[in-house]
Amino acid sequence: MIEIISSPFMQKAFLAGILISILTGIISVFIVLRKMSFIGAGISHAAFGGIAIGFFVGLNPLFTAIIYTILVALGIESTSRKGKMTEDVSIGIFYSVSMALGITIISLSKSYNIDLFGYLFGNILAITNGEVLLTLITALTVTVFMVAFLKEFFLITYNEELALVSGINVRLFNIMFLIALSVSIVISIRIVGIIMVSALLVIPGATARLYAKNLISMITISCLTGFTSVVAGLFLSYKYDLASGACIVLTAAAIFFVSLILKNRE
Amino acid sequence: MGTAIQIENLSVVFNEKEVLKNINLSIEEGHFIGIVGPNGGGKSTLIRAVLGIIKPSSGLIKIFGQDPALLPGKKETVFGYLPQHLNIDPAFPSSALDIVLMGRYKKTGLFKWPGTKDMEIAEKYLEMMGVGHLKDAQFSRLSGGQQQRISIARALAGEPRILILDEPGTGLDAVGQEDFYHLLKSLLKKMNLTILMVSHDIGTVTTYVDEISCLNINLYYHGNPLGALDDKVLTSLYGKNMDILMHSGVCEKCERLRSQ
Repeated sequence: MIEIISSPFMQKAFLAGILISILTGIISVFIVLRKMSFIGAGISHAAFGGIAIGFFVGLNPLFTAIIYTILVALGIESTSRKGKMTEDVSIGIFYSVSMALGITIISLSKSYNIDLFGYLFGNILAITNGEVLLTLITALTVTVFMVAFLKEFFLITYNEELALVSGINVRLFNIMFLIALSVSIVISIRIVGIIMVSALLVIPGATARLYAKNLISMITISCLTGFTSVVAGLFLSYKYDLASGACIVLTAAAIFFVSLILKNRE
Repeated sequence: MGTAIQIENLSVVFNEKEVLKNINLSIEEGHFIGIVGPNGGGKSTLIRAVLGIIKPSSGLIKIFGQDPALLPGKKETVFGYLPQHLNIDPAFPSSALDIVLMGRYKKTGLFKWPGTKDMEIAEKYLEMMGVGHLKDAQFSRLSGGQQQRISIARALAGEPRILILDEPGTGLDAVGQEDFYHLLKSLLKKMNLTILMVSHDIGTVTTYVDEISCLNINLYYHGNPLGALDDKVLTSLYGKNMDILMHSGVCEKCERLRSQ
């Protein structure tokens, strides 16, 4: 145990992981209540395009992925609104196009890099000090933003028309939420990986939904589920030399199914 | 008393189909207005245009003489609104009191949560709607009628100047509806409200409202409620072979049940 905690790369992984679990714990509540699970999967897969661009132009792939996923999120919102189509249709388009773009760029650059595997499935060994700092700053900023406007997000989630009548700029808040979601996804990629990051956006909120009586209790249970999954998953990953993302997601899934069984027994 | 809502030459077009056509309507402050008409006749569209939820294709809406976008005082709650459908998650995490407090959000302002005073006001309206005992119950698990009463308490909790209700009788039983309409009449004076109520139940509405608007894309009639029962108006709204079964001003059975 002490060996794990004293290891410098594990310290970085735990710090980044705990920040991510709190952030995704809050976002996950709204993803579940607003039935937006597909957008989490869509944007995380679209991040592959942004990461490929980073490799191609020689910038930090997380940095280019943040910019790229924000543009994708805005593109999804704008295409759905202007094309008068449901959001899942435009998510389906942007998600596959971004994956195709990423694969094309990687093929063009002829740099099938071992790092790519880490971005897809999570690699705690690869986290740099700069990325921990990026995670710290963005996680704190997005968490403060979400907490500051919790009341407004809650009313929009309850009923968008009531929020509009209450003077809330619903479209602006929806766009800001998509940006917060995009940033949360990208900073989670190093630990959980592109393929599995959407689980952190769904499972904690889905677990909390089983037991929560009010918004604050739902956020608390969701963050605790995320926190436990990340910490236990990282321990398992270190101890048995397994992919960190897979360990975290499997732990989260175990918590969800045990909670579901216990709830149904009540 | 001035004009609460002024609508001039209002038209709304959705997907190249005219949903409202050249509507002119003036609603005086302190009046109780019923909007009736067939499904798809534009009733909900009209109130959503008044609320600023949808933009009219042409025409003008003024609220207390002003463009709705320029209504005074950021914290002033002009509208209390009860939408027709909520469609909430069956596990939506909130108590009845949490829902009513949402009606106070505009008055609370940014970066603050409702305080003790807001709680007292929310509880007062829950009591008024006869559901005070349910304040800690999970909202999404309550019956349709209980949810409707709590939603009306939410619409009132912001202490609005105009109350807009879209099919408020949904989920209420016959006695509950009678009580509810009586309550609305009493609130009209007590809270100095103007009430705009959409209903499909033309027979009951005519008993309670001050004026009625008959809408089927065009506005066929606006005025004394009894005028809405004219054969010509009814045929314009619902087509031929339409008959109305009238309620008297007082429902004897309801009064008997209420006294019990």
